[in-house]
Amino acid sequence: MKVGTAVIMWGAAGSAAGAVLAPTIASMIGGDIVSPVVIASVTASVALAAAIPLGWLLNRDVDRLRRSASRALDAGSAPAQRPSALLRSVSEPMHAAIEQSASETDSVMDRVRELEIHCRITDGERDRLEEVLESLQDAVVVTNKFGELKLANPAAAEILGLKQTDDASRSIDKIIESSIVRRLIHEAHDAGMASLRKRVEIELAEPGAEEGAPTRTYEATLACLPDIKAPIGGVVLILRDISREREISQMKSEFVSKASHELRTPLSSINAYVEMLLDGEATDEKSKAEFYQIIKNEADRLGRLIDNMLNISRIEAGIVQAQYEDIDFVKAATDAIEVIEPQAKLKDISIRVKSGPLLYAAEADRDMLQQVYLNLLSNAVKYTPEGGRVTVTVENDETTGSVMITVADTGLGIPPDALPMVFEKFYRIENYKRVAKGTGLGLSLVKHIVESVHNGQIVVTSELGMGSQFIVSIPYTRDRALGVAA
Amino acid sequence: MSGPQRTVLVIDDEAHITHVVSLKLRNAGYEVVTAADGEEGFEAALQHAPSLVITDLQMPYLDGLELSKKLKKTRETADTPVLMLTARGFGLTDGDIEDTNIVGMLSKPFSPREMLNTIQEILGDATDSGPSDAKAA
Repeated sequence: MKVGTAVIMWGAAGSAAGAVLAPTIASMIGGDIVSPVVIASVTASVALAAAIPLGWLLNRDVDRLRRSASRALDAGSAPAQRPSALLRSVSEPMHAAIEQSASETDSVMDRVRELEIHCRITDGERDRLEEVLESLQDAVVVTNKFGELKLANPAAAEILGLKQTDDASRSIDKIIESSIVRRLIHEAHDAGMASLRKRVEIELAEPGAEEGAPTRTYEATLACLPDIKAPIGGVVLILRDISREREISQMKSEFVSKASHELRTPLSSINAYVEMLLDGEATDEKSKAEFYQIIKNEADRLGRLIDNMLNISRIEAGIVQAQYEDIDFVKAATDAIEVIEPQAKLKDISIRVKSGPLLYAAEADRDMLQQVYLNLLSNAVKYTPEGGRVTVTVENDETTGSVMITVADTGLGIPPDALPMVFEKFYRIENYKRVAKGTGLGLSLVKHIVESVHNGQIVVTSELGMGSQFIVSIPYTRDRALGVAA
Repeated sequence: MSGPQRTVLVIDDEAHITHVVSLKLRNAGYEVVTAADGEEGFEAALQHAPSLVITDLQMPYLDGLELSKKLKKTRETADTPVLMLTARGFGLTDGDIEDTNIVGMLSKPFSPREMLNTIQEILGDATDSGPSDAKAA
């Protein structure tokens, strides 16, 4: 469609332009000129051309009149003719001639008006098409059969950084910086097939960027314009930025690859231990019990992994059903601590809640808030050495109208280069993999629950060897959150 | 089952995996040494001079491939065969295993029984516990 647009506007031979935009004008002007100025002059020429037969008609009638008068004068020597008859013989053809001329003039004037209307329609159509071209995010470049630039929309100027040139020919070799783009246009032209339509993916850096600068991926569509007089009238090039699509597709395949790796690890253990039991490798009851326990734990791990993956994808797909109610955030923290306490006791880690005497409540989904607390607390306990402390602080932040939770620990801390990645799916700090087991999905889920489901915010600060603080803020009401966001 | 007293080094950051592999090999008569990452594995290889190294591909510090290259480069371990255990859905290419002594690959989830057969084949150990025997047992 976009190619069609460009073809309409700028077909090198112009016949296509006339055919679509103003059929009448095109058929009259034989197709080579599409400029409105030229169209106006053509209209005038048509009017002039129409006036020529009018003059001829008047001359013809005056001749006829002259011949009638001379016949009357010649008859003067013959028996006398009455003056009224003479006058009638002169005036009748004259009237007839004048009437015919008037009617033909009207008809010409009608044609002129028609042409004026067509001109205005053509102007309007052209303006609209120009607006469409200007509003396109895709770059549109049109060249003629001589490899000269005939049209480039603003997106093309931005993407290709078209150079200013004094050269009247506007050759693309002087205007377009990118050698890939120039080569594509030349190749399309040289292919010499009017029906040619080619799609290729190219990488382009920003105009003027140094070599090795980051590039964006574009889908380049090339089409050749037909021409009556030459094999090829010109080339239309459209560039569409598909970097984001490529990124998403890359992320998807990485997700599948990481997810399958994460799923196979516990599955691998389950499989191996079941086979050991079947092969009678566990000789005593103690070993058998140990194997069963490992299988149970790994199956649980697999279950958690699948739950987290499903929860994240449900939130991402926007199909999660949250049930919002007023939740007391201090009570919710205490409930979550109860679940984590046994794990903390094993490492002699103390967990406490700090809050004031006020009510700290916000509209939230009870189960999802529990997930937030459990994941943050479980991480804090996992990555805090024995005898450490975990503190949950609950406050009201009146400036943003939200409840603020801080989960702070005295643990290993997060290396600065890992901080921006901790909320990414499956990301695990390489050196901490031995410290604790994890799926790499917990923090990603927390971020989704806080930001996507509750319109809240989560930030992390950390100092290596000193501990980490995860700060979550959830607006008192969802309406208010939307108001703030707006 | 009288496996010769050969030493096998098992390296994996998943404790359950090293545990189950060790058990299977010990039951088959091998002596087993374990390590939880590539660096620790390399030290153990130097110290114990194992007949074979079984290593996971994806590990912290030094991954299975880097470790295999390092083993090949080191005089004491230059001839030690390596069996690669990987959770990935794809194997390593010929280019990847160049400059290593990787002699086989097993992908997770794996069968300890098949793994034992592969090890016995690699080490050329006479065995009475082929896959069919193992099934019968």
